[in-house]
Amino acid sequence: MPGRVRRSPLKSPERAYLALGLEGSANKLGAGVIKHDVDGSSTVLSNVRHTYITPPGEGFLPRDTALHHREWALKVINDAMKNAGVSIHDVDCICYTKGPGMGAPLQSVALVARTLSLLYQKPLVGVNHCVGHIEMGREITGAQNPVVLYVSGGNTQVIAYSRQCYRIFGETLDIAVGNCLDRFARVINLSNDPSPGYNIEQEAKKGRRLLPLPYATKGMDVSLSGILTSTEALTLDKRFRADNQTRGPEDQDVFTPQDLCFSLQETVFAMLVEITERAMAHIGSKEVLIVGGVGSNERLQQMMGIMAHERGGRVFATDERFCIDNGIMIAQAGLLSFRMGHQTPLLKSTCTQRFRTDEVHVAWRA
Amino acid sequence: VRIPFATAHHASIAKQVIEVDRELQPQAVKRVLEVQDDVLVATFSTLTVRLARLTLNAFLENVDLVVRTISEFGADSERRPT
Repeated sequence: MPGRVRRSPLKSPERAYLALGLEGSANKLGAGVIKHDVDGSSTVLSNVRHTYITPPGEGFLPRDTALHHREWALKVINDAMKNAGVSIHDVDCICYTKGPGMGAPLQSVALVARTLSLLYQKPLVGVNHCVGHIEMGREITGAQNPVVLYVSGGNTQVIAYSRQCYRIFGETLDIAVGNCLDRFARVINLSNDPSPGYNIEQEAKKGRRLLPLPYATKGMDVSLSGILTSTEALTLDKRFRADNQTRGPEDQDVFTPQDLCFSLQETVFAMLVEITERAMAHIGSKEVLIVGGVGSNERLQQMMGIMAHERGGRVFATDERFCIDNGIMIAQAGLLSFRMGHQTPLLKSTCTQRFRTDEVHVAWRA
Repeated sequence: VRIPFATAHHASIAKQVIEVDRELQPQAVKRVLEVQDDVLVATFSTLTVRLARLTLNAFLENVDLVVRTISEFGADSERRPT
């Protein structure tokens, strides 16, 4: 990348730092403990998560999700501390997801974070969920300055770093790609265990027909709700065979749920690859980092890899422990922020459903 | 509503934790939280009975979560001087 190399404002710590991170913006409740050592390395001491899984055909609603988080919070935190082998007395700060996400679940986790902060007299650090994903992706993969594709059930953004800010180059104009996939999974009644997106990926591997779906990139952005409507409408088409059975030897022009999964994935992933490529061309980057729950989809990683390879670049991705919402990413981003002197006073430790990625001052990078 | 706690310190923690969040409809719901000895006293006044029910349900759910957190971690937090 052009420009002089700036020295990082983040110095190696004079002692080891520990942080506890709590995440609960969607249906995953996570707690993790991270350690920053004097040599500048980061170690994951524990990463515990429990997911609220709804029956097939149903999504998760704020009230029930918050109830799930309230039921599981204490157990998940206890397990995280036990696996890490440290006590909350030893951590330097308690990090929690300030946003974006669903209101009630976020607030439930924030209440626990505040209580622990007062009980143990530890400072609170409110963390942006998207920045958490990015920082964990950077830490795990070691990518230097990639274009980040952040794709999950709640967010779809193309992000690049410049001058202490994660700038959004392109994003979805309506719904997130994970939301699109999950809602289609509900229409065809796929199981939500372990996650609807995973099951769509498995079904798509059995698809054989690529059906025409609207391809909706809008400049640097994408629009996904139209594609979802079209795909759902195709399930009402008279050629659709939900049971994978043809009606007779003449029944040739038919398609199955697997074909629809395959077509949907190919179309939306191609769109995401396109807007990522536009950002790469815009800033002359050769690295792509995929973060967020949908980033664990191997077909997306493969398609992105083909594009990156054609441009002489490469793709970085993490596995489902760090891709899918987790507490350790909140601990990582929170501790980086804390080491640069940032804390969230108790009275300001609210949560917000809308928290833009570029609102965060990335003090720990040059 | 009066919620007793084991100590005044715990009641104060609960008050500080819960009062950070604004009521969802501050123009229709007035909330006052105070601590009297080791009791958390919450006083609500709402425009409708339905709002009173919703507000109180949410408040009690939050109190329950804070109480369970203190119950789970309270002893450990006092065990070692920080």
